[in-house]
Amino acid sequence: MIYGVKRIIKYVLGTDIAGRNLAVYPDDTFIVSYPRSGNTWTRFLVANLVYPGQPVTFADIERLIPDCEAQSSRYLKRVARPRIIKSHEYFDPRYKKVIYIVRDPRDVALSYYDFARMYRQIEDGHPLASYVSDFVAGRLSSADWGTWGENVATWVSARNGRPGFLLLRYEDMLSNPAPELAKVASFLGIDPAPERLAAAIERSSADRMRKWEAKQGERWVSTRNKRSDIPFVRTAASGLWRSKLPPSSIAEIESAWGALMKSLGYELTVGKAVSEGNRAGAALPELVKERT
Amino acid sequence: MLKRVIAEAKRAFGLQSPGRNMAVFPDDTFLVSYPKSGNTWARFLIANLVRPNEKIDFSNVNRVIPGPEVTRNRDLIRLPRPRIVKSHQYFDPRYPRIIYIVRDPRDVVVSQYHFQRKRKLLADHFPLPEFVRLFLTGQTCFYGSWGEHVASWLATRHGTPGFLLLRYEDMIQDTAQELSKVACFLNLPATPDLLERAVDRSSADRMRQLEKSQAQLFTSTKDTRQDIPFVRAAKPGGWQSSLPPECAAQIEQAWGQIIQWLGYELLSGERAGSSDSAFPVSAMGGPLR
Repeated sequence: MIYGVKRIIKYVLGTDIAGRNLAVYPDDTFIVSYPRSGNTWTRFLVANLVYPGQPVTFADIERLIPDCEAQSSRYLKRVARPRIIKSHEYFDPRYKKVIYIVRDPRDVALSYYDFARMYRQIEDGHPLASYVSDFVAGRLSSADWGTWGENVATWVSARNGRPGFLLLRYEDMLSNPAPELAKVASFLGIDPAPERLAAAIERSSADRMRKWEAKQGERWVSTRNKRSDIPFVRTAASGLWRSKLPPSSIAEIESAWGALMKSLGYELTVGKAVSEGNRAGAALPELVKERT
Repeated sequence: MLKRVIAEAKRAFGLQSPGRNMAVFPDDTFLVSYPKSGNTWARFLIANLVRPNEKIDFSNVNRVIPGPEVTRNRDLIRLPRPRIVKSHQYFDPRYPRIIYIVRDPRDVVVSQYHFQRKRKLLADHFPLPEFVRLFLTGQTCFYGSWGEHVASWLATRHGTPGFLLLRYEDMIQDTAQELSKVACFLNLPATPDLLERAVDRSSADRMRQLEKSQAQLFTSTKDTRQDIPFVRAAKPGGWQSSLPPECAAQIEQAWGQIIQWLGYELLSGERAGSSDSAFPVSAMGGPLR
C-alpha cells in the first residue's frame, strides 16, 4: 500500500528511473550493449564526434548522451531531440536506430567481476569461478538485462543486417578505432572526415578518461559513492581472459554460448575440434561477413 | 497529469493488465506466440486438458489460462500456482518455462489483417499490400515484428530444457500428438482418451459455435464487428490464394532464413533474400525440419 502510493507519486513526478519504461521517440538513437562491453567509451567517442565544440567529460556525459537506466523519465523527456541514449536493455522493438557493441564474453566476465567489487556487490576475495557461474546462469543483479548471451542474441538475431542497426565489436574498436568510428559517423549522418574522427578518438582515449575519472568520480552517477580504489575505466584491452580466467570458467562460458561467440568471430579454445567438425552445414560466419 | 495519476493509481492497485511489467514466479509456464498464431486454440486445448471436468469456453478460458495483456494484475497474482499464462510478448528473460507456438508469417499477416478489420482498426477497403508493409516493420501491434519476435525467442531459448517449440501447422495436422508433447512438458496425465476429449472440445467447429453465443464474454471479441469471425479458417496455407505474390515475396525477402529454418517452403525457391543474414542459423544448430 505505502509502496503503491510511493510509486504513484514517483511516476506522476517523473522521478522514476526510465529503464525499460522509457518513452521512446521515433528519432532516438541508442547506444546499446551488455554491461562492461565498451559502452562508456563509445559514449565518449560519439559525444566527441557529434558535439566537437563541447567538453566531453564524466560531468557532461549524462547531458550529452544520457543513460536511460540511471536517469529519470522526467530528465529524459527534457533532453533535446534528436536524442542519443545509452542503454543496456536486451532487445526492445521500439528502439529503431541502434548502435550495438559486442565484446568477448570471457573479457566481459573479468571486467564485470572488478565492477561488482567496485560496486561493493561482492567482497575482494570472492571466488572468480563462482562469479562466472552466476554470470553465465543469469544470477547477477543485472539479470533484468538478460545474460550476455540473451542480450546479444536477441539484438543480433532480430536486427543485424537490417537498416537502423550497426553492429560493432569492442575488439575491432580497440585495434583500429578510426574505421569503426567512421561507420558510426555514416550511421549518424555525419561526415567521416579523418581529422574529425582522429580528434574524437584522441579526446576519448583511455588515458584521458582515466584522468577525468580520477577528478570527477564523485560527479558521475555511475561512479559516485563507489569504491575509488578500483577504477571504472579499467585496462581498455582485450584478451586478458587468456591469462586471468580459470580454464573451467572459460569452458563454462564457451559451452553456454560457443555457437553465438563463433558467429561473432570469437575463437573458442575448448572443444575446438568438435566445434569445427560441426561447421559442415553452417554458412559461417554470417554475422561478421557484413563487417569484413 | 490527472490521466497519469489515474493510470498509475490503477496500476498500483492492480486494476490494470500489467503487460511486460507482470510479476513472474519461478514455477510459471508461459504459452507464448506472436498474435494470430493459434494461441487461443492452444489455450482451449491446454485448458481442456488441465480441467477435464470443466468444459472450457470463451467465458472461462481467461480464468484458467490468463494473460498479462488481458488479465488484471491483482487477478494474476491471486491465481493458484503453478500458473499457465498466455502471452504475446517478445523475449523476456524472466519467463522460466515456455511453450512457443510459431506459424507461417504469410498466414499470420492475412489473419491479422482480418482481425484488425474485426476490431475496427482497419477499414474494409484498406489495401492488403499496405498492411503487409506495416507488418514487415512491426507496426501492426505492440510486440515487435513477426521476425523479431520469433528470432528473439528462438535465438535465446531453442534447445534449452524449459522451451517447447510447436508449429501451428503441425498442431493442425496431428493435434493429439502435438498436445501430448505439451502434456509431457507440463507433466500432465495424457491418456489417449484425455487427449481426444481435449481435442474434440477445442475443435474449430465447437469454437465457432461458442463464439456465436459468447462473443461479448471474451476480451478479444468483445465490442468488435460480429460479421467477421474470430475463429477463422483454422487451416494452414490460406495465403497462397489470398496474399498477392509480391507480398509473399516481400515477406520471404525479409525473413527467408527463419522461414526456411522453421521448415516452411519458400515461394521464391531455395534461398530467399539476404536481408535476414542476421538470423544466426549457425548458432541455432541444424534446421527444425
